[in-house]
Amino acid sequence: MRVAIDTGGTFTDCVYLADGRLQAVKVFSTPSDPSRAVMNGLARIGVDVSLELRHGTTVGTNTMLERTGARVAFVTTAGFEDTIAIGRQARASLYDWFAPAPVCLVPRELRFGVPERVSAEGEILRSPTGEELTALVEQVRASGAESVAISLLFSFTNPETECRVEAALGSLGIPVSVSDRILPEFREFERASTTVVNAYLAPRMESYLLQLEKRAKEQQSRARVDVMQSSGGIIAARLGAQEPVRTVLSGPAGGVIGACRVARWAGFERIIGFDMGGTSTDVFLADIAAGGAQLTRESVVGGVPIGLSMLDIHTAGAGGGSIACFDAGGMLRVGPESAGAEPGPICFGSGARATVTDADFLLGRLDAESFLGGGVQLHPERTEQLMCECKGPLATAEEFAAGIVRVVETQMEKAIRVISVERGHDPRAFTLVAFGGCGPLHACSLARSLRIPTVLIPALPGALSAVGILLADTVRDYSRTVMLPGDAIENLQAIFAELEQSAGEEFAAEGLDGTAHRSLDLRYRRQGYELNVEYDAQSPHRSLEAFHALHRRRYGFAQESRPVEIVNLRLRMIAAGESYAAEKRTLVPGNGRTALVTTRKIYFHGKFQESRIYRREALVPGDAIEGPALITEYTSATLLPPGCRARVDGFDNLVIAVGGEVKE
Amino acid sequence: MTRADVDPVELAVFQSAVHSIAEEMGAALRRTALSPNIKERRDYSCAVFDSRGRVIAMGDHMPVHLGSMPMSVLAAIEAIEFAPGDIAVLNDPYAGGTHLPDITMVLPVYQVKRDRAAFYVCNRAHHADVGGAHAGSMGPAREIFQEGIRIPPVRIVRAGEIDRDVLSLILLNVRTPREREGDIDSQIGACRVGEQRVHELVEKYGFMRAEALIEELLDYSQRLVRAQLREMPEGEFVAEDWLDDDGVSDEPRRIAVRLRFDPGAGELHADFAGSSAQVEGSVNAVRAITLSACFYVLRCLLPRDAPATAGILRPFTLTTVPGSIVDARPPAPVAGGNVETSQRIVDVLLRALAQAVPERVPAASAGTMSNLTIGGTDPRTGEAFTYYETTAGGMGARPGLDGISGVHTHMTNSLNTPIEALEYAYPFRMIRYAYRDGSGGAGKFRGGDGLIRELELLADAQVTLLADRRRFRPYGLEGGEDGAPGQAVVTQGETGSEKKLPGKTSLRLAKGDRLRIETPGGGGWGKRAR
Repeated sequence: MRVAIDTGGTFTDCVYLADGRLQAVKVFSTPSDPSRAVMNGLARIGVDVSLELRHGTTVGTNTMLERTGARVAFVTTAGFEDTIAIGRQARASLYDWFAPAPVCLVPRELRFGVPERVSAEGEILRSPTGEELTALVEQVRASGAESVAISLLFSFTNPETECRVEAALGSLGIPVSVSDRILPEFREFERASTTVVNAYLAPRMESYLLQLEKRAKEQQSRARVDVMQSSGGIIAARLGAQEPVRTVLSGPAGGVIGACRVARWAGFERIIGFDMGGTSTDVFLADIAAGGAQLTRESVVGGVPIGLSMLDIHTAGAGGGSIACFDAGGMLRVGPESAGAEPGPICFGSGARATVTDADFLLGRLDAESFLGGGVQLHPERTEQLMCECKGPLATAEEFAAGIVRVVETQMEKAIRVISVERGHDPRAFTLVAFGGCGPLHACSLARSLRIPTVLIPALPGALSAVGILLADTVRDYSRTVMLPGDAIENLQAIFAELEQSAGEEFAAEGLDGTAHRSLDLRYRRQGYELNVEYDAQSPHRSLEAFHALHRRRYGFAQESRPVEIVNLRLRMIAAGESYAAEKRTLVPGNGRTALVTTRKIYFHGKFQESRIYRREALVPGDAIEGPALITEYTSATLLPPGCRARVDGFDNLVIAVGGEVKE
Repeated sequence: MTRADVDPVELAVFQSAVHSIAEEMGAALRRTALSPNIKERRDYSCAVFDSRGRVIAMGDHMPVHLGSMPMSVLAAIEAIEFAPGDIAVLNDPYAGGTHLPDITMVLPVYQVKRDRAAFYVCNRAHHADVGGAHAGSMGPAREIFQEGIRIPPVRIVRAGEIDRDVLSLILLNVRTPREREGDIDSQIGACRVGEQRVHELVEKYGFMRAEALIEELLDYSQRLVRAQLREMPEGEFVAEDWLDDDGVSDEPRRIAVRLRFDPGAGELHADFAGSSAQVEGSVNAVRAITLSACFYVLRCLLPRDAPATAGILRPFTLTTVPGSIVDARPPAPVAGGNVETSQRIVDVLLRALAQAVPERVPAASAGTMSNLTIGGTDPRTGEAFTYYETTAGGMGARPGLDGISGVHTHMTNSLNTPIEALEYAYPFRMIRYAYRDGSGGAGKFRGGDGLIRELELLADAQVTLLADRRRFRPYGLEGGEDGAPGQAVVTQGETGSEKKLPGKTSLRLAKGDRLRIETPGGGGWGKRAR
């Protein structure tokens, strides 16, 4: 049985297929040992003989956003210790005299130089002596580092010295990340930065994933654990533990895959994804007809560049559990600090600082009875009392709560503008797909301020990342840098065959049946960037023609006579995921009366208004509901402000027409 | 204030769409260029103009290019009777350019069946050599004729076909023709990418709608600037600062400005009277550069996400004396005016502005781009090479914040050449790349530190340095101390003896010699606590 589990800062979602339908279970995250929550979830599901656990985690993202990673020692060629801090010398915003200094994860006292040098051609010009390596090990030991990143100049042309340094530092018994393995490509800053992120995440992710695998195997000796990568493909947990930088957007990547699948079934091709969880919010834009969300190799996570191929996801450091406070200047701020699962929001009973969830609760937007299937006891009096204590100069707790919601929604709006308006896309041409535990609560208000006409709340919105993880393909990328002239293109068969053989063996060892996709990174000689084109094994020269054509289309010119360089051979091995397609049910026009539970006052536009409360589980395809209303469900709740109208489609999604702007 | 028929959301989307055209042109240029200065350091800029040559969007590239590109477009429009499929090229500082290494391309975008261009797209890139007396074309010249090939606005592409006559004339006059040809191809390609995107934009909005949005965008920029200027204190604010020398004599050169704010009208006037007469050496700035520096400072007064358009300059007037160092006339050499004098003009503008609104103005940043050019023959290939790079210094301290260390400021924003790209492309070996500790000026808030970059030559080469702030240090404000001056030192390979270089010089160095550049720190802000 295949189970997808997505660990968030606050909740852990479990999704699996039973009787041809997606099922979800939600449990509290256990941040001190996240694998405990996974086991709790599995216990709730009741696992049968063959467990195949697929995991997505926001542990990496949150570690970057909250800056709670390891104390990393950075080891590089002597004389270049500061390169990790200097970066590329350019400033991030051109016209801002008051921009803050860029982030560097390695403080000065943790940067170490090795007396060594490799040339651009890969020749070792200077090797560190045994004594020099011993001295380095002692320095790093004395620094109290919890993890090490090694990135020496030109190591991608000859990794020998990096390997020696790695071997020497191995005696420290802390995780060691080596640049030649993480990102064997030129440009020392980007390679080092990516390696440092790996080291920053390593202790936490490694112990976590290995612990998880161990526990799963305790339950079931043949259990297998996989993990979602930031690129949207699944890899074995063991690999994820070695290279946690590949999973830095693991949970969010599941959300992208899930949202694209669900939106496509429902007939929406252009979507803006809005995944608001407990600690952070991820937004992305996808044109599903054009292959879904784009991949980028120029990601910046928590202010730090990462040079690996990742889905283009923009993260804002605020979610339902984000703490609200007044800053030194008296301005109301929300996040990036989060109450997480422990102590959690005030309304859960032990937290003492106001969060977005508390604000929503106070405004009547959470349902005390059905919240998380009644699994969590909410404390209205405690919330009211503590919110009053936190309200600062504001007159009432309600005003404070409404202020928190307004601030956090403004942050969300800004994040969506970054991926849409700032890239020249008009949000009005897109559908907002809202999910995560908190997304559906804030979606309509957000859509209104961005003038997005339609909101889609998928079935199981609180567990959509887990749905994506369950349905994702297993993907592993292999590459070899060759730097050959273009006319060598007819002679690449052997190298590809070699790559394919080792990839096939790896997949076979894991009981997977993979399909190989071959491609080439080509460029005109002396250019700095490549274009990726498919490799046609039958007539390889076609790849050259494809390159010239693509170059012309994308860059405005091409020259068939100019020498081409073959930079990398790439092999992507894909084992297809669960072949599940949701079943479309017949629409029966209705008004959702059987799902109506009660009415209650909910705060909209400065006053409490009588609103109907529905149970989503009892709604059927064809039902239509007018706001003001709240549609609660096991994993989330959808707020329908006055003027919005929700309709249940044939896949149990809620399709909401926002405001009076769109006629159906 | 918004026009009744323009919706603020539509305007925001349109503005971002035009801006992303400029950014996409930049990406195309970077991804296809051959020279490290363009593909790695991104020493280029792209912008989009309307049918009247008014800039409506600039990529977030190099301020010194951006503010002066409108003059290139106007010069091209004036000199050439464009037809569809044409692209103009130019670099003459006295006809739309700024200094010779910056080669600019202008492509008019035509609508179907119309004979007048509806838009112009333009890009400018710094080429690592354009001929002249010194490899890298940035040496201590005394006339512009020594600085390289001068290209007036001419067509390099006619009706879609590259004009081989023009191209070969250019290529014959430079030291690294193959690299230049590749970079020129990239610039032409980037123009076409821009053209394609403009067509898509017009298709989406319709030409009439786009025109209305452009007017509104320009008005919007103007409103933003005027709102700022209305909040300024009324009166005149005077400041001066100095360039160490012009590279020919030791005499310091003065840059002076008088800023006059008229908050009632929401206007600003800058008068550079009192600045030195144009000089024999290359630190002469053409007026386009002075205007560019003013544009940059005005733009910095606006909120972070404000668009940079021609509307910004509407409430602004500039007075310069023809034949002065801020408004040079031919045949004055100008290579350093673009990179050094432009920074000093900003320093002077900020010093005057600090008197008006002290809490909004940082102390002086490094104030020099520390330009290094090296040319010779690469023993690995036997081919000629030319290398150009600037090195960042310290940012001036801000009221409330320390300055950032080792970052490009004001009129430039290029990246470094990665060491792993540099050694692959040139016969050099990098020895050291580090912060220059303690070079930032002390104060309540510290100036950022400069950088140290040291390299060893693996071949004999002609080395040219063009730098300033050796004598006149980056100033502190409100009692903050000045930043440390920059310096450059050559260590002879054979003897190990060290020699300090003047700021502006060109010399032969031998294989095995080492060159160390230490860039200035930024000034401090506020008195240091005792």
